[in-house]
Amino acid sequence: MRAANRFAAVLRNLLLAAAAIAMAFPFYWMATSALKTNDEIWRFPPTLWPQEALWSNFADAWQAAPFARYMFNSVFVAGTIVVLQILNSGMMAYALTHMRFRLKGFFTALVLVGYMVPATAVYLPGYVILGKLHLLNTYAGLIVSNSVSVFSIFLIRQAFLQVSHELVEAGKVDGASHLRILWTIIAPLTRSSFAVLALIAFIEQYNNYFWPMLITKDPDLQLVSAGLRSFFVEGGAYGLKWPLIMAASAFTIAPLLALFLVGQRTIMRSVDLAAGASKG
Amino acid sequence: MNRFRLGGELKALLFTLPAMVPLTLFWFVPLGYVVYLSFTEWDFMSPDKLFVGLDNYRNLLVDPAFYQALRVTALFCLGSVVPVIVIGLSLALLFNGRMRAGAFYRLLMFSPWVTPTVAVSIVWSWIYEPEVGLANSVLRGVGLEGIRWLQDPQWALVGVLIVTVWKSAGWCMIFYLVALRNIPSDLLEAAELDGAGGWRKLVSVTLPLISPTTFFLVIVQFIQAMQAYDQINVLTQGGPAGSTRTLLYLYYQSAFDAFRIGEASSVAIALIVGCVLLSLVSFFVGRRTVHYS
Repeated sequence: MRAANRFAAVLRNLLLAAAAIAMAFPFYWMATSALKTNDEIWRFPPTLWPQEALWSNFADAWQAAPFARYMFNSVFVAGTIVVLQILNSGMMAYALTHMRFRLKGFFTALVLVGYMVPATAVYLPGYVILGKLHLLNTYAGLIVSNSVSVFSIFLIRQAFLQVSHELVEAGKVDGASHLRILWTIIAPLTRSSFAVLALIAFIEQYNNYFWPMLITKDPDLQLVSAGLRSFFVEGGAYGLKWPLIMAASAFTIAPLLALFLVGQRTIMRSVDLAAGASKG
Repeated sequence: MNRFRLGGELKALLFTLPAMVPLTLFWFVPLGYVVYLSFTEWDFMSPDKLFVGLDNYRNLLVDPAFYQALRVTALFCLGSVVPVIVIGLSLALLFNGRMRAGAFYRLLMFSPWVTPTVAVSIVWSWIYEPEVGLANSVLRGVGLEGIRWLQDPQWALVGVLIVTVWKSAGWCMIFYLVALRNIPSDLLEAAELDGAGGWRKLVSVTLPLISPTTFFLVIVQFIQAMQAYDQINVLTQGGPAGSTRTLLYLYYQSAFDAFRIGEASSVAIALIVGCVLLSLVSFFVGRRTVHYS
C-alpha cells in the first residue's frame, strides 16, 4: 500500500513537471532563439542552447524599431486608464450600493447588458463615433475609449456589497460628504479588490492590440503589441531575422512577467473574487 | 424635505456620470449605431448612407463565406473550450494536495495568460516554422513528417487552437484549484467511509461540487473564443483559404479591408445575438443544473 502511494506521488510529480515544462518551453525557446546567430537558427536539428550566445541581439532589436516609445505608450496609456477606472468604478459602485436614486435598477441592468455584449462587436461603430469626436490618432482617444470597464464596476460593486451600510450612515452623522465616505472609509476596507482591478486592467491594457491598432495609424502612438507586430512584419521581414524578432518579443514580455512575479498573490486573489462574482 | 431628496437624487446621478458617460459613448450608442448601420449601405467615405432595409441580412444568408465563418467559429469555440476545461481541471487535480515546489509550478503554468497574445503568437509562429521550427523538429525526431502548420488549410485552425489552449489552460487551472480547496473535506471523508474509491469520489462528490466553476469557465471561455482576434491576426490572418476566418474576423475584414460597412454590421449583429443568446441560455440552464452549495 505504501509503495503504491509512493509510486502515485512520484507519477504525479512527473506528470506535473512535464506539464510545467510544456507550458514554459515556448518562453525558453524564445529566449534561446534570441541569442542565436542567423546561421545557427537555420540549422537542423535545432540546438537547445546557442553555441555562442549573442547578447548583442537584444541591443540590436531595441534599436531596430522605436521600442522605447512603444513601451512608454503602453505604460502611460495603461497607467492612466487604471487611475480612471479606479475612480469611476469606485463612484459608480458606491452609487449602486450605498446611495438611493430612482434609476438605480435601470443602471444596474444596463451594466449587466454591457457584460453580455462582446466588446469587439462594437469596434466598427465605436471607430466611426471616435472619428466624429476627432479622437482618432490621439492619446486622449486611446485613454477615454477604454476608461470604463464593466468588469471593473462589477468587481468593485461586489466588494462594496460586503461593506455594512451602517458605516456610511455613521459617516453621514459625522457630517462627511459621500466622496469622503467613499474614499476614506469604504475604499480602504476594500483595497484588495482595488488592487485586483489595477493589476488586471493594467495587464489587459498594456497587452491591448486590436482596438488601439484600429484607432491609431500614427506609429508614434502605437502600443507595444502593435509596434512588435509591425516590427515582425516589416523590420523582421517575416522570419528572415528570427533572432531579432525573438529578442524583441522577449523584452516586450519581460515587464509583464516581472509584474506577475511581484503581483502574483493579487492575481491569485482575483480568481477568488471572480469565482465569487460569478455566483451573482 | 422635498428639496433635500432631490439633492440626493442629483448627487447619486453625479456619482454615476464618470462611468456612465464613457459607457454610453463607447458602448450603448455604438450598439444602437451598429444596428442602424446594418440596414444601410456605406463605404466610410461617401457622405450619405443608403438605407437598404434587410438586404444585408438577406445577402448574408446566401453568402457561403458567412456559413464558412460560422462553421470555423463553432469549431474554434469547441476546439478551444473543451481542451482548456479538460486540461485545466486535470492539472488542478494533479496539483491538489500538498507538494513541494507547488507555487513554482503554478507560476510557470499561469504565465502564458499574463503575457501579450501578440508577442506569444509571434513566438509560436517561429515554433511552427515549417523547415527548422521546433514543432516539426520534434515531429521528425519521432519519425513523423513535418506539417505546414499555418499554410495548410487542414492544419491552420489546429495551429491557432494550440496557441489559444496553451494561453488559457493555466488560467482555468487556477480557478479549479480554488474550487477544489473549497470542497469540505468531511464530504470526501464520508464518501471514503462509504467505500468510494478515487474515481467514484471524483465523479460523485468533486465534479458536482465544482460545477459552478466549470459552468463559469465554459461561459467565459466561449465568449473569449467568439472574440479571439490577436492570435488569428498574427498567425494566419484568417487564411489559408478562409480556414481560420471566424465571424469576428469576417466582420473585421469586410469593414476595414473591403469597406462594406453595412454588410460588416450585419455580421456584427449575428455575433452579438450569438453572445447574448449564449449568456441567456447559460443563465437559465445554470439555474437548473448547476449545483450551488
